[in-house]
Amino acid sequence: MLSYFVSYLVMASTYSVAALALNLQWGFTGLMNFGIGTFYFVGAYASALLTTGASPDYVGGFGLPFIVGLIGAMAISGLLAYVLAYPALKLRGGFFAISMLAISETIRLIVKNEKWLTNGVWGIRGIPQPTRALLGANLAEWVYLGLAIAILIIVYRLTEIGIRSPWGRVLNAVREDEKMAEMSGKNSWRVRMQSFVFGSMVMGVAGALYAHYIGFISPSSFTPLMATFIVWLMILLGGTGSNKGVIVGAFVVWGVWIGSEFLIDFLPSGITSKAGFVRMLLMGILLDVILLIRPQGLFGREKVISKLGSGSEN
Amino acid sequence: MVDLFVNGIILGSIITLGAIGVTLIADILNFFNFAHGDMLSFGAYMALFFVGVFPSWGNFPFLSFGPSMILAIILAMAVTAAFALFFDKILFKPLRKRGASELFLALSSLGVAFIFRAIIRLVWGPQAKYYGGLQMARRYPLGITIKPDEFFIMGTTLFLVIVVYLFLTRTKIGKAMRAASDNETLARVTGIDTERVVNWTWIIAVSLTAAAGVLYGIQVQLRPIMGWNILIPIFVAVVVAGVGDLWGAMVGAMIIGVSQEMLTGLLQDMFNSLNIDVLMTAYKPAIAFVLMIIVLLFRPQGIFGTGE
Repeated sequence: MLSYFVSYLVMASTYSVAALALNLQWGFTGLMNFGIGTFYFVGAYASALLTTGASPDYVGGFGLPFIVGLIGAMAISGLLAYVLAYPALKLRGGFFAISMLAISETIRLIVKNEKWLTNGVWGIRGIPQPTRALLGANLAEWVYLGLAIAILIIVYRLTEIGIRSPWGRVLNAVREDEKMAEMSGKNSWRVRMQSFVFGSMVMGVAGALYAHYIGFISPSSFTPLMATFIVWLMILLGGTGSNKGVIVGAFVVWGVWIGSEFLIDFLPSGITSKAGFVRMLLMGILLDVILLIRPQGLFGREKVISKLGSGSEN
Repeated sequence: MVDLFVNGIILGSIITLGAIGVTLIADILNFFNFAHGDMLSFGAYMALFFVGVFPSWGNFPFLSFGPSMILAIILAMAVTAAFALFFDKILFKPLRKRGASELFLALSSLGVAFIFRAIIRLVWGPQAKYYGGLQMARRYPLGITIKPDEFFIMGTTLFLVIVVYLFLTRTKIGKAMRAASDNETLARVTGIDTERVVNWTWIIAVSLTAAAGVLYGIQVQLRPIMGWNILIPIFVAVVVAGVGDLWGAMVGAMIIGVSQEMLTGLLQDMFNSLNIDVLMTAYKPAIAFVLMIIVLLFRPQGIFGTGE
């Protein structure tokens, strides 16, 4: 029971990191990233390939330490975002969302089909959990939880500092009225790019955290539902534009997700096999209900006030 | 070559029916409907249900199905459109009334997409299904090998496109829809009932996509993910053509369909002759995406868009 709880906390922290990344892109920059899962996906694979032992089935593994995997995940997700930004960030609104969706499906195709690189649909097994080798399996869980929470706190602090800095105010100005921001001499392209790349790097870190915790990844671990949609649900429930809110959102949504697993045990056996689809249905309904009755989420947009001014009203 | 071209036209036909709906919704309701693909799957599965309900009245000559399929298509279109109207009533309409942004509406349509997908899997399960027997392709001159059913697919598409065109140009409500797409405020001022326009937009857009789903199911098979997979080519067709252009959507869809088939064929030949081991057919959907990026980089308003 306790181990269940620890595992819940690890996964919820991992998703919180992802949610903070999406909140930076959507909540603070207005980038409707429907392909957020791609960077989660790429980060997980990057770290897995860097840290697993050599295998004839895919490129690598290089057997490098965990920290290299983490940095590699960050670097590759960031690089991917940087390259994709040139076509994609030229687009606005729904067009951007469509292009991100298309990119994410394209990358899924690559991972699925290029067996030499990623072992295709068979996925990658035996991704090392850094703490398990050193400590007993039981203690390692706790230490990994500590690691996940530490990363969550670092990312939270960084984004909080970021959005309260002059950079964050430019970001806000660009989201609210891009032309106005440009007229005031702000380079909107640059801040959007920075936010997109930084968010994607954080997303990559979340992917790496996931891969090392579960120990096995394959393209089917990163369905649009589990990698993208659920993160959207988390930030919408928690409150777009509130970093505290989206962390709460992540813990609540993941709790509901895990909790519904317990409920399934009580259902008649005929339905159990379809339980995953019932959950998918509930998640879809939950998203629309939130948008309908509480579009600002549980917390609502936090007013970001600088130390100097009184902040803008709207 | 000619064979690949014809295959592209068949795929393009299915994309056309989806793209007209997406473009109408984007134009009149001002958002990209991310549920469009799953509505397409839903239409296909509804037809599967109705085909099972009716007795078999035999098959049409050369085709793998009979009159019951025609009825099933019509009923699937009606039921799927009814579902869309239901979602409009409980979800999109209140959001519109609140003045929700384009992105909010798109997000809520993503929720609807997952609701449809979950319903399909709950009712029909995740395995692939077929309407009836599998049909063998036949040889025609110029090296064209297609299934007779595929003539039906192209014919039905052409028929539906003409019907929609006549509807939009000849009927009062069709003209009102075009007026609303040009200038909504002006349309409302001149006494056009915009809610009625909205309803008709859903009915036309979604019944077309349901028909596309059935045709897609006839051509290949039914899978719960079929609509999600074809959603990207559909969007790309609209984006390539520019939003709001009926004929543009059709041309865009044909461009996507033909280039997906022909480019994968050409690239496969090229890779084979270079001894590079790549399975291009797996990357068909990616072609649409690359095409979109190229078009958007050079003509952000779409090929036919005026860039107002």
